[in-house]
Amino acid sequence: MPTLAASFKQAYDRVFGRFWNATSVLVMAGVFAAFYFGLTGTLWAVTGEFTRWGGNALQLFGVDPSHWAYFQAIKLKGGPLDRTDGWLVLGMLWGSLCAALLSGNFKIRTPRQYRRWLWAFVGGLMAGFGTRLAMGCNLAAFFTGLPQFSLHAWLFIGGTALGTYIGVKLAVLPLFKGKPKLEFGVRPVAKRGPDRGTARWHLYAGAAGVVLLLVCIGWNVFDHRALMGLAALFGAAFGVLIQRGQICFTSGLRDLWLFGKGKMAKAILAGMAVQTVGTAVFIDKGVPPVIHWASVGSAIGGVMFGIGIVIAGGCETGWMYRLMEGQLQFAAVGAGNIVGATVLAYSWDHWGVYRTLVGGAPEVNLLHALGWTGGIVATFAFLAMLYALVVWREHTFHRRLAQRRVAVADEITA
Amino acid sequence: MGEKTRVYADGSLDVRGESCPYPELYTLEALEAIGSGKVLEVITDCPQSFINIPESVRAHGHELLSEQRDGATRVYYIRAK
Repeated sequence: MPTLAASFKQAYDRVFGRFWNATSVLVMAGVFAAFYFGLTGTLWAVTGEFTRWGGNALQLFGVDPSHWAYFQAIKLKGGPLDRTDGWLVLGMLWGSLCAALLSGNFKIRTPRQYRRWLWAFVGGLMAGFGTRLAMGCNLAAFFTGLPQFSLHAWLFIGGTALGTYIGVKLAVLPLFKGKPKLEFGVRPVAKRGPDRGTARWHLYAGAAGVVLLLVCIGWNVFDHRALMGLAALFGAAFGVLIQRGQICFTSGLRDLWLFGKGKMAKAILAGMAVQTVGTAVFIDKGVPPVIHWASVGSAIGGVMFGIGIVIAGGCETGWMYRLMEGQLQFAAVGAGNIVGATVLAYSWDHWGVYRTLVGGAPEVNLLHALGWTGGIVATFAFLAMLYALVVWREHTFHRRLAQRRVAVADEITA
Repeated sequence: MGEKTRVYADGSLDVRGESCPYPELYTLEALEAIGSGKVLEVITDCPQSFINIPESVRAHGHELLSEQRDGATRVYYIRAK
């Protein structure tokens, strides 16, 4: 009969001792995302809120951008705590922080190479601008956008695939890559004691964080703001999931191009497939789907986003959980995102971005355009095609790797 | 651990503070550079690299000898193919 402490330790190790399987995590995220849509009518999305943070920041400096056309479209009212999207984003950050603390992944880290800060900001800026041009990031124009049967997500996904490919070509150039601290020469392996494990105060802080989160949710519900409480709850769940599963859409695409690894990409597609079924049920029940302009801007935005996230080292979900793990470089990515999104909001009407790239484009709801059966079949066919492309890429990459190995072996024996 | 059983590495790569893909990329490049049969020490603290480095190292045919955990930092010893 194990003692209570031993059982507790065992349960803790199971949940926080190792990372969770990416596929399970993304399938769970897909189910939660479908329910979040069904219960609130809005999406698991973050960059719209980042744009509003940019707007709020301008208001602090006495500039009121609420009359800009973009803010008229996405609404700028109050501060982050007055909006469901605000609670969702804060919930995500908080959930990731608690998960990082409890699992011993928290540590303040700063990059040794100064160039990382620059590229983090520049990449974040490009990604922020691109996502808002497409009306959503790897969430609302990708993971939660496609299951809405909105054609703009198809264009954005295509653009992101191309953008990350270009990004990978850039990231391996010396200007971006830099040089590591690498020393050759025989050295004794450092003697280390037993694993030190996680500092105790991290565990206490993580537990306190969970309690504080529950208090926040309870306070919202008590204050007749159930929707805000719900957003905080779902946000925290998403935050825990992305940290525990290390869910990074950047790596999903980048690692496919760079290392021929398709595990994360396949997991993302599985999560989208599950979610598509869920959203279809809720749309059938009468929840209106979220449809955006299927414009050339969505595709261009996808390319910019793809390049930006690879240069920066993280997409929106990626930088959020990494910053909460203590990787300070990602604060620059977040700041870049907010600045980029705000620049896009300004350029929307002031520089004619809407007129040239978006205006006049149709808002295509595939369930209307192709009918229910057609829309669902088309969406699954698209997902299946992407899956086949991932498998094909893995296959060709590893065949080339094997060929190179044989070539090297021939050289040695020759 | 006595002096006789002391283990040696032939090079050390310290990527603390770096985030992906660089820990993984630098590791693979260093393994190419160090030469066949030599042992590389990799010190990293990017959580995603805890998944990626072992995976990629094996996929490229190198041998992961051991992995040590020190708080949120990990040290890998890898024998180059």
